[in-house]
Amino acid sequence: MGKTLTKADIVDSIYEKSDRNRAEVKAQVESLLEIMKQSVKKDHALLVSGFGKFEAYDKRARKGRNPQTNQAITLPPRKVVVFRLSRKFRAELNPQ
Amino acid sequence: MNKSELIKTLAEKNDIHVDEAALVVNTFFDSIKDSLIKEERVEIRGFGSFKLKDYGGYTGRNPKTGEVVQVSPKKLPFFRPGKELKEYVNK
Repeated sequence: MGKTLTKADIVDSIYEKSDRNRAEVKAQVESLLEIMKQSVKKDHALLVSGFGKFEAYDKRARKGRNPQTNQAITLPPRKVVVFRLSRKFRAELNPQ
Repeated sequence: MNKSELIKTLAEKNDIHVDEAALVVNTFFDSIKDSLIKEERVEIRGFGSFKLKDYGGYTGRNPKTGEVVQVSPKKLPFFRPGKELKEYVNK
């Protein structure tokens, strides 16, 4: 896989269509990411139609061990974020 | 939260028109989609990264009817949450 799309590339694409300067567009993108993070945390879900859904779900505490020392430890409960693909986007990725 | 709420919140927080916020949000997700369709990797620092994975086809079975079905190969994006996002939801 060759190229990687980064935040700077996204800022550029928005900048081309916007009346703002690059620094302002960058601030808007950072603000958007902040809102997205808050939404995933607070609502446990962020639904973007035509794209997919980011979901946070709870994982229970489980027993693990330190692979280096072999010591048994209890891993605390935590939240994990997963992405579920929208049907529309899935179809776009797999045209038939 | 859904996309229109995302646009509304972005507009309010930055004191901009909803049309401008919609341009930001739509271009953001469209850029990611376009790159993934071109099989490029996507990395959004602080949030996460996307990578397209190839899944081979296989002969499966409909578990309800027992009928043999051919599952064709497919490409699906795989999302890895970034460090900041992982820490943020656990704070």
